[in-house]
Amino acid sequence: MADSAVKPIIELKNVNKIYGKDIVGLKDINLTINKGEFVVIVGLSGAGKSTLLRSINRLIDISAGDILIAGESITKAKGKELRMLRRNIGMIFQSFNLVKRSSVLRNVLTGRVAYYPTWKSTLNLFTKEDKQRAYDALQQVDLADKVYSRADELSGGQQQRVAIARVLTQNPDIILADEPTASLDPQTSRRVMQDLKMLNEKHGMTVIINLHSVQLAKEFGKRVIGVRAGEIIYDGKMSETPESTFNQIYSGGEKDE
Amino acid sequence: MDTTMKKLPPKPIEWKKRILHWAIAIITVFLIIWSCTGIDFGGIKETAGQIAGAIFTGIFNPDWSYIYNGTGEDLVSQLWETVCIAFLGTFISAIISLPFAFWAAHTKHKKWYLSRLGKIVLAVIRSFPEIVLALMFIKAVGPGSAAGVLALGFHSVGMLAKLFSEAIENLDDGPNEAVTAAGGSKMNIIMFSILPNLMPALISNTLYRFDVSIRSASILGLVGAGGIGYPLIIALQYRQWNRVGIILLGIIVMVIVIDAISGWIRKKLV
Repeated sequence: MADSAVKPIIELKNVNKIYGKDIVGLKDINLTINKGEFVVIVGLSGAGKSTLLRSINRLIDISAGDILIAGESITKAKGKELRMLRRNIGMIFQSFNLVKRSSVLRNVLTGRVAYYPTWKSTLNLFTKEDKQRAYDALQQVDLADKVYSRADELSGGQQQRVAIARVLTQNPDIILADEPTASLDPQTSRRVMQDLKMLNEKHGMTVIINLHSVQLAKEFGKRVIGVRAGEIIYDGKMSETPESTFNQIYSGGEKDE
Repeated sequence: MDTTMKKLPPKPIEWKKRILHWAIAIITVFLIIWSCTGIDFGGIKETAGQIAGAIFTGIFNPDWSYIYNGTGEDLVSQLWETVCIAFLGTFISAIISLPFAFWAAHTKHKKWYLSRLGKIVLAVIRSFPEIVLALMFIKAVGPGSAAGVLALGFHSVGMLAKLFSEAIENLDDGPNEAVTAAGGSKMNIIMFSILPNLMPALISNTLYRFDVSIRSASILGLVGAGGIGYPLIIALQYRQWNRVGIILLGIIVMVIVIDAISGWIRKKLV
């Protein structure tokens, strides 16, 4: 721990999530993710990958345990405190979640909302620097020419890259990506994964991705976490992960439910 | 090829359902018969044929000179006033409806009773017919178009806010989540994701309500709340059938034109 390069940025402590009365979402999760890591979470659908990811920025409230973001508990945060913690955690979604009827620029600027008082962002009073920052982000994902297009005029892959520009503009330390490639074709998926890798390598952001594609996980992941039935059943370096582990992670899916 | 496919089994008979369906049918027929007996049908008046004939001749021989005479009491001016009442009333109600819609939309609250309460309030507002409201507002602001505007503005909130709240409930939650995840407040979510996504529904429902309001505004005059209804009831009372005819024609043309325009705009929105 003395090594300054290895600094925990996300810590999950005995995290449990129970849906309704007795449906287990997460079971005794203990996990530490360090600054600058590129982590892929793999597992069958319904295994709890999404629940795990969404509990980190508290889109889902956990039932028990605690989650620390850079040492601060997000579980106990309220109001402005929670919003400031979330400002430091960008998120990419499977369905892109752009505001389809707004321009690409306004979508990208949405990443900045937490940097402004509400009345200013409501009146669209973004500073010149932030507009430039948004445009810079669009250039990094090669969509500079679409800046004034409406978001729904773009293809799926382009929309996901606008979402990446949005988190780039948000400038967080952590990126959560929930199945970012699930609704894209293989080629576009690779492009999106490369952009996420760029966020990690060029901007030093800690990236955590849910993937169900083993192939993409193997290609891009540096650390693998295997989730099955709400539990972490594997955690290790991708380069040292044997094939049998993946079989193990993806087995026994049928007997759940 | 496997030829030993099973035969389609006959549909299972569900006696419970069958009895229920028959019971509903019998009760419905009974209700229709019963409601007929409740009406005191005093027969048709002897003069009915004569009056019907007069109205028909009136409609086919309209009082063309009434269309425009520059006094401000003519058909065009009165129709224009009707349109203005409907427009202002709808505009006011659309603005008032927005906060009500967010109150009544169940997806916006963690506590279910809040949205239920909002829906009840809207139902109460809706249950006052605009004629009754107009009579009340005439007592408050005096007879004239102002009473009509207020009556329509108030009454329309009941329906518009309900339609808006349903549109809010049907919105995809994804973009809202994205704003939340970026650290946005509730107000940020409304401004950045809900309102832009809601815009087509807002405009198309407001236009639809404008159609309905035009029709309502043409009868508000009957109680003295401005618009074409007032000259209509005067003409009816003085048995000026030619004038009744031209007024009815005017209303028909106005409704058709407004319908066509708002229909065209709504189609463009999709």
